[in-house]
Amino acid sequence: MEGVPVLSLIVFTPLIGVLLLLVVPGTNHRAIRWIALLTALASAAFSLILLGYDTAGSEFQFREDVTWIQAFGMRYTLGVDGLSMVLVLLTTVLSVVSIFYSWEPIRKRVKEYYIALLVLMTGMLGVFVALDLFLFYVFWEISLFPMYVIIGVWGGPRRVYATVKFVLYTLVGSLLMLVAILAVAIAHAASGQPFTFSYEALRGFAYADTLQALAFVAFFLAFAIKVPMWPFHTWLPDAHVEAPTAGSIILAGVMLKLGGYGFLRYNLPLLPDAAVSFAPIIIGLALVALIYGAMVAMVQPDLKKLVAFSSVSHMGYVTLGTFVFNEQGLQGAIYQMISHGVTTGALFLLVGIIYEQTHDRSIAHMGGLNARLPRYAGVFGLFTFASIGLPGLSGFIGEFLVVLGAFRYHGLVAAAAMIVVILSAVYMLWMFQRVFFTVPSDWMRRFWPVLRDINRNEWIALTPLIVLVVALGVFPGPVLEVIAAPVDRIIEAVNGAGLTALGPLW
Amino acid sequence: MLDDLVTLLPELVLVALVLLVITVDLFLPRSSKWLLTPITVGGLILAGVACLAVWDVNRTVYAGFYVVDDLSVFFKGATILTGIISALFAPSYLILRRIPLGEFHMILVSALLGMCVLASSSDLITLFLGLELMVMPAYLLAGLHKTDRYSNEGGLKYFLLGSFASAIVLFGISWLYGITGSTNIAEIATALEGQMSGALLVAIGFLLVGGTFKIAAVPFHYWTPDAYQGAPTPITGFLSVGPKLGAFALMIRVFAEALAPLRADWLGIFLVLTVLTMTIGNVVALTQVNVKRMLAYSSIAHTGYIMAGLAAYANASNTDAAAQGIQSVLFYILGYAVMNIAAFAVVAMLQRDTTRFGGLNSFAGLASRSPGRAAAMGILMLSLTGIPPTVGFFAKLFVLLAAVDAGLAWLAVILVLNAALAAFYYLRVVVYMYMRDPEPDPAPIDTSPFGSVALALSVAGVLVLGLFPDAILSLIEESAASLL
Repeated sequence: MEGVPVLSLIVFTPLIGVLLLLVVPGTNHRAIRWIALLTALASAAFSLILLGYDTAGSEFQFREDVTWIQAFGMRYTLGVDGLSMVLVLLTTVLSVVSIFYSWEPIRKRVKEYYIALLVLMTGMLGVFVALDLFLFYVFWEISLFPMYVIIGVWGGPRRVYATVKFVLYTLVGSLLMLVAILAVAIAHAASGQPFTFSYEALRGFAYADTLQALAFVAFFLAFAIKVPMWPFHTWLPDAHVEAPTAGSIILAGVMLKLGGYGFLRYNLPLLPDAAVSFAPIIIGLALVALIYGAMVAMVQPDLKKLVAFSSVSHMGYVTLGTFVFNEQGLQGAIYQMISHGVTTGALFLLVGIIYEQTHDRSIAHMGGLNARLPRYAGVFGLFTFASIGLPGLSGFIGEFLVVLGAFRYHGLVAAAAMIVVILSAVYMLWMFQRVFFTVPSDWMRRFWPVLRDINRNEWIALTPLIVLVVALGVFPGPVLEVIAAPVDRIIEAVNGAGLTALGPLW
Repeated sequence: MLDDLVTLLPELVLVALVLLVITVDLFLPRSSKWLLTPITVGGLILAGVACLAVWDVNRTVYAGFYVVDDLSVFFKGATILTGIISALFAPSYLILRRIPLGEFHMILVSALLGMCVLASSSDLITLFLGLELMVMPAYLLAGLHKTDRYSNEGGLKYFLLGSFASAIVLFGISWLYGITGSTNIAEIATALEGQMSGALLVAIGFLLVGGTFKIAAVPFHYWTPDAYQGAPTPITGFLSVGPKLGAFALMIRVFAEALAPLRADWLGIFLVLTVLTMTIGNVVALTQVNVKRMLAYSSIAHTGYIMAGLAAYANASNTDAAAQGIQSVLFYILGYAVMNIAAFAVVAMLQRDTTRFGGLNSFAGLASRSPGRAAAMGILMLSLTGIPPTVGFFAKLFVLLAAVDAGLAWLAVILVLNAALAAFYYLRVVVYMYMRDPEPDPAPIDTSPFGSVALALSVAGVLVLGLFPDAILSLIEESAASLL
C-alpha cells in the first residue's frame, strides 16, 4: 500500500462523483442516484484500508504531505491516528446510509441534492484527516455550506429561518477560530521557527498565557457551537426539525462530532495550559447541557425535536469526558461520539420512516404503532435502548466510561451525570410508550390502512447501524485499543501543562 | 528619451486605443457597433501584454514625475483586467437601453488610463492629474444613461461631491508643498522624517478626508449608494471597483510613501475610520432589499477590509510585517475587483426587462431558471462573504494575517465579526436563488455570449485564485517590495 494516497482517495472520491453528476442530465434520477451511491461506497471501501492502522506504529499513519501555498507555509498534510480513523469510518458509513436512504424520499432537484451530500462528505472527511491547521479550516468551512443548502432547499416549512440560523451561528464561531489559528501560527513563527500551519509543529509550543487563553476561547467557541454545547445549542433543534431525514442523520451523526473532534485534536494538545485552567467552567457547562438537554427533551411534543434535544444531552457526555482529563473520561468521550453517531443517526432515520408516511411527527398523534408496525417498533426499541445506555448496546460503554472518568474528577460531577442517565431513560421510554403502546390516536387511525412497515431499502440502510450498535456494545475492545494511544498523548500533553497552568489568569 | 517612452508602453497602448475606438465608432454602421467590444478587449489585452514588458523595469522617468515600478505595473495590470471584464459585461445591457457603445468604450478606456497614471505617479502633480483623468470619465459613466432620472441624479451627485473631494486633496497637496517645499513624493518623505507640526496635521487631515472620500470610506461614503444605484448596472460594477482601485493606489502613494514617516500619527484616526467603514457598510447593507444597492453598501464594507490591510502596514514594527500589509491590500483589491464586477454583472443580466431594478425578487428561483448563472452568483456571494475555497476567502485571510502579524488582533476580530454579519445578506441572495420559487412573471435573463464568457472566466478565476494563489502572491510580493 506504500505510495498510494489512501486518504486523498477517501476524501476526494465523492468529489469525483460530483464531477460526474455535473455532466449527467438532471432528469435522469436513476443514474444520479447510482453515481452518488457508488462513489460514496467507493470512498467507504477505501476507508476500510484504514483498518490496517498499526496501533504500535507511529502516531499519524497514511501520511501525505505536499506543499500547497508556499508563500504562507500552508501544506496539504493528511494523516490519521486512532481517533481520526474511527471518525472517518463513522463518516463514510453514515454518508452511505444517508445517500441510500434518500433514494425514495428525495424527488425534487435530485441532482443538486446529491451534489450537496457528496461535497459535504468530502468536507467532513477532510476535517478528520487534515494535519495542517489551515487545511483543516478550509475543510471545516467546506462542510458548512452543503448542509446549509440541504436544510434550506429540501427542508420543512421553516427551513430558511433554520438554515440561516445554523450558518450564522457556525460561521461566527469558525471565523473567530480562523483568527486564533493565525495568531497561533504567527506566535510560533515569532520565536524564529519557519512560518507554518503544521499541526505537529504548532502543538507542544509554549504559547504566552494571554494568547493561550484567547485562542482557547476562540477554538472552544467554534467547537462548542458545533457540538452544540449549552448555551450555544439553540440552532440545533431548529436545524433538525427542518432538515430532511438524511440531513438530520449527517448532522447528528457526523457534524456534531466535528466539534467533539475539535476539542480533542486542537483545544487540548495545542493549548493545554488554557485547557486545564478553563476545565472547571467547561465541566460545569457540560453538566448544564446534560441536564438541560434531558429536561427539555422530556417535554417535547415533536418526535424529531425530542431526539434533537437528546443529542444536546448526550453530546454533553462527550464534553464532560473530554475535560476531566483522564483515560476513562477521554476514551468514553470518543466512544460516546461513535455510539451517538450510530444511534442518533438511526433514530432520525426511523423518525423519517414514519414521517414519510404521515407527514407528521407529533408524539400526541401517534400511539399503538406496535400493533400495526411490529418490526418498526422492534428496531426503534433497539435504538431507544441503545440511546438510554442499556448494557450490551453501544451507548452503555461510552456513558459508563465517562461517568467513571467524572468520578475520578469529582464524586458530585459523577452523581450529576448519573442522574442524567436516569432522566434519559425517562424521556426515551416515555416517548416509546406514547408512540408504540397506548391506544392509537384518532389521527393515526386514519392512516391505519396505508401504514407500511420497514421496506427493503430501509432495511438495507438500517442493517449496518443495527450491526454496529450491537457490535460496539458487545465488543468495545478493538475500538478502545485503537483510541488508547491518542488518548494517552492527550493526557500527556495536558499533564505536562498542568504544572504551569495559567495561574495569574484566575 | 526613447528609453523613457518605452516604459510608458501600457499607457501608450491605452491612448491609441481611445483614439482607435473614437475613429472606428464614426465609421461603423449601427448594426455593427458590437464590434467595438472585441476591438476594445483586444486593445486592452495588448495593453496587458505591454504591462509584462515593463515588469521589473523599476525606474523613475521624466525628471522624477513618473515612476514605473512593480507596484505601479501591478496596479496597471489589475486596472486593465477590470477594464476587460467590464467591457465584456456591459454592451448587451447598454444596447437594450440605447446607450451608445462608442462613448462607453472610449470613456472606459480613458478612465483606465487615468488609473494607470495615478498608480505610476511619483510626484503629487502627476498624482492629481491621474486622479482627475480617472474620475472625470467615471462621472460620465455614472450618468451615461441620459434618459434615466436616477442615472442623472447619480452622475450629478458623484460629480459634485467628487469634485469637492478632489479640491480637498489638492488643498492637502498644497499644504504639503508649503511645508516641505517639494511635490516629489520621495523628497517629501525624506523631508518629513521625524517632523510633526500643526501645519502637518492640517495637511494630513485634508489628504485623509480627500483620500477616504475617493475610496468611499465612512463617513465620506454618502455619495456611493446613489451614484452606484443610478449608474447602469454593469457600469456600477466597474465604478465600485475601478476608481476604488485607483483611489487605493493614491492612498498607498500618499500615505504609505509620502507620509510613511508619519504613519504613527495618521494611524489612530485611520483605524477609527477602518472600523466604522466596515461596520456601517455592513449594517446598512443588511437592510437593503435591492441587490444593486446592497452590493453598493457592501462595497463600502469591503473598503473597510482593504483599509485594515493598510492599517496593518502602518502599525507594523518590522519591514516584513509592513510589506505583508501592503501585499494584503494588493491581493484584496485584485480579488475584490473580479468578484464584485461579476456580481454586478449577474444583477445586470436579470435586468433584461428595462423596468426591473434588481430587487431580491428577481433572483427568486433562479436556480431552476438558469442553473449556471445561479451557481455562478452563489460562488460569487460565497467569495464576497469570504468562504473557502474562493479568492474572497484568501483575500480576507491575507488581511487577517497581516493585521494579526502587525499586532492588530482586535481589528482582525472585528473584521471576522463583520464578515459573519455580511454572510447574512450575501446568503440571502442564495436563499432567494435556491430556496424560493420563481415569481409568476420572472424577469427575462440576458444570455449574451460576451457576458456569459466573462462570467464563466471570472468565476473560474475566483475559484482558481482561491485554491492556488501562489502565482499571484509572488507577483504581489515583488510589487510591495518596490515600495518599501
